[in-house]
Parts: sequence; C-alpha cells; structure tokens
Amino acid sequence: MSAAKDKTCDAVITRDLVVANKVGIHARPAAMFVKIASRHTCDIYLEKDGEKINGKSIMGLLMLAAGPGSHLRLEASGKDAAQAVAEIEDLFQRKFDEE
Amino acid sequence: MPREPITVERFYTEHSGQLDLRLLGGAIGLKRVIREPTVNRPGLALAGHTKYFARHRMQVMGHAEVTYLKTLPRDERRRRYELIFSYPLPGVVFCRNLPPDRDCLKAAESRNIPILTSSLITMKFINLATLALEQLFAPRGSEIGSMVDIHGVGVLIRGDSGIGKSESILALIERGYSLVSDDMTRVTLVDGREVVGTSSELTRNHMEIRGIGIVNVAAMFGAKSVRGEKRIDLVVTLKAWEEVKDIDRLGMEEEFQHILGVQIPHVTIPVRPGRDLARLIEVAALHVKLRRAGHNPAKELNERLLSQMSAAPRGL
Repeated sequence: MSAAKDKTCDAVITRDLVVANKVGIHARPAAMFVKIASRHTCDIYLEKDGEKINGKSIMGLLMLAAGPGSHLRLEASGKDAAQAVAEIEDLFQRKFDEE
Repeated sequence: MPREPITVERFYTEHSGQLDLRLLGGAIGLKRVIREPTVNRPGLALAGHTKYFARHRMQVMGHAEVTYLKTLPRDERRRRYELIFSYPLPGVVFCRNLPPDRDCLKAAESRNIPILTSSLITMKFINLATLALEQLFAPRGSEIGSMVDIHGVGVLIRGDSGIGKSESILALIERGYSLVSDDMTRVTLVDGREVVGTSSELTRNHMEIRGIGIVNVAAMFGAKSVRGEKRIDLVVTLKAWEEVKDIDRLGMEEEFQHILGVQIPHVTIPVRPGRDLARLIEVAALHVKLRRAGHNPAKELNERLLSQMSAAPRGL
C-alpha cells in the first residue's frame, strides 16, 4: 500500500507545439517522441484538432497524422512532468534531428 | 471536438451512391451548409405560404410538387421559384428522376443553390436521406483506449502504458475475439442512445507490441481477428493492484462511465503478476452479457442465503 502512486494532486503542464520538420511526424520522429515519453512516469498526452492520444503510444503518434505546420497541445501530469516537457520541447526545437 | 459544418458537398460525395444523386446545376452552391438533420417537402411554400418554412433543410420535390407547379401559368410559376429560392436553402433534390424545368434551374443558379436529382422514389429518398443526415450530424469524439469485440460485447480497454493492454488483447485475439482499434478509439453517438467505436482509418488493423513493434493483426491472424466497428457495451480499466483502493467484492452495484452522454457499464480490473488479464476481461464481458439478459449472480446468491437464514430454526 505504501508504494501507491497518488495522482490526485498533480498539476497538468501544457505546452503548445508546432511541427517544424519538413515531412511531419512520421515513424522515426514518432519513435523518438515515444522513447522520451516512456522514460518518464508522468502521464503524457498530445492533442491535435480535438483528438487526444497517449504520448507513450507509437500508434497514437502515428494516428495524429501531424504534418508540417501542425499545432499540437502537449499535456503532462505527474512527478517528472516538468522534465518530460522540457525534453519534448527540445526535441521539437531540434526538428527531430532531421535537418 | 470542434464540429465542421455539414455542407451539401459532403452530403453529396458521401451519399451519392446510396441515394443515386446527380448534380444538375448550381455547383457553386455545394459549399452551402445544411443546418438540420432532416429534409423538407416545400409544398406549402410553393403554394405561397412561407410562414415557418423550413428553409435550412435540404428540400425534396416529388410528384405532388412537380405536378402542382405544372398547374400554374408560367409567369406565376416563375414567381414561385423566385420566392422559394429567395430563402437560404442548402439545396433541392428532385426525386423519381423528375426533371426540373428551365425556369427552375435558372432561378436556382442565379442564387447559387445546388439542384440535384435522384432516381429513388420520394418516400425511399426521404427515409434514406434522413438516416444519412442523422449519421452526418451525430456527435463524435475520441477516447483513449483500445477496443475489442468479445462475443458480441464491445469492450473499451483503458489503462496506463505498460500495464498489459496489448498483451491481453493479443491473448483475446488468440481466443477468437476481434480487435476494433488499438490505443485510440473514435466514438460516434448513434440514435441518441448507443455509442459505436471504430479505429482511425490510417491505423486500422495495426497494433504496437512492445519489443516487437507494429504488427498487422489482420494479416497475422486473419479476417476473424478484426472488426470495423462495434457498439461499446463495457469499459474496462486495468489498474496496478496497489492503486486500486476499494474493490467491489460482490459485483452487485453497477458502476458506469459516460461517453458522449451515454452511461456505459464500467469495471476496474486490478493487475498483478500471475493474473490472466485476458481471461478476466473475457469474463467481465460475458458477465455484462448475462446481466443484460437479466442475471445477477450476487443478488441471486444473496436471496438464496436470506431464505436459508430465515428458514433455519433459531439457536442452531
């Protein structure tokens, strides 16, 4: 019982991100995103046009079909949310190391 | 989810096959918006009574309307066309392949109102078009979770990443059940009381298995292993054993979750090494099926217990 994860009072950190690389979020960038997300214990969600997906799921990332210029909303809640958000923002800024 | 307005163009492209629609004129008007999920026969408006005229609906003309217009002298007919097309109609459909006359087409084109025909008889067209429009207008959303069809019971499976959703779904597929969607399920409210789930067209039939990657379930397990869409009958949340506070040990109370405003039975299954999740999800689904048929095992057992206790002589 002592190891119970208490999620009730975690604030949600949100960020608006724009997809800047030429082709958008295809398999490789999606895998990079999921790798970062899965390393953290916090909940991570990405939303595009009202559809929200689990950021730790590669299927979800692919389903977004986020082409170049897409506006995404990142939501993270949990202990390491701040760090996760920082790493993800950096990934987007680096254009997923594609340019 | 922000709704896109339903245009005549969308109605036309998505249902021209089923309704046998052809565009005759006023193509510029295809961008016009249909504001109500039903059609209207403009008999009274054509006769000059325009009060409460349902101007925001697709108009339908059949024998009654066309023969009535023929009884009018040409000038009067032209005036009626001017009158009816002065309203912001989304469009007009002539059924039974009845041809609109030149004056009608001219008046419609001058207002950029699309004119279509259908070979269907008016009654059939009205029924099918209304159903098509209800489907276009139906509230939609998306839910995070995978969905399977277990013996006719649609189950939405939720849970944190890594808890074992994908593995239990694979086990369920091997048991002969079908995958509807992986990781995200698109939901639509049908008839105001049922929620139907489906997958995104892009990733249909695919699943991610950690350690293996993305697999095509249909190619791997065959046609029986996938299903295009299914009504959601049960929501199952997989939760780590330590995180589950109070488990309902009896299963007598029913718990629900709301999707698109509809109450759907919900069950939390605590996860722990050694528990066969697929089996538990399967049993949860079959339990829902039996409860729907009127069985309530906990209640029935309790009633037998109560009658046994009341029958026992005192002191024993």
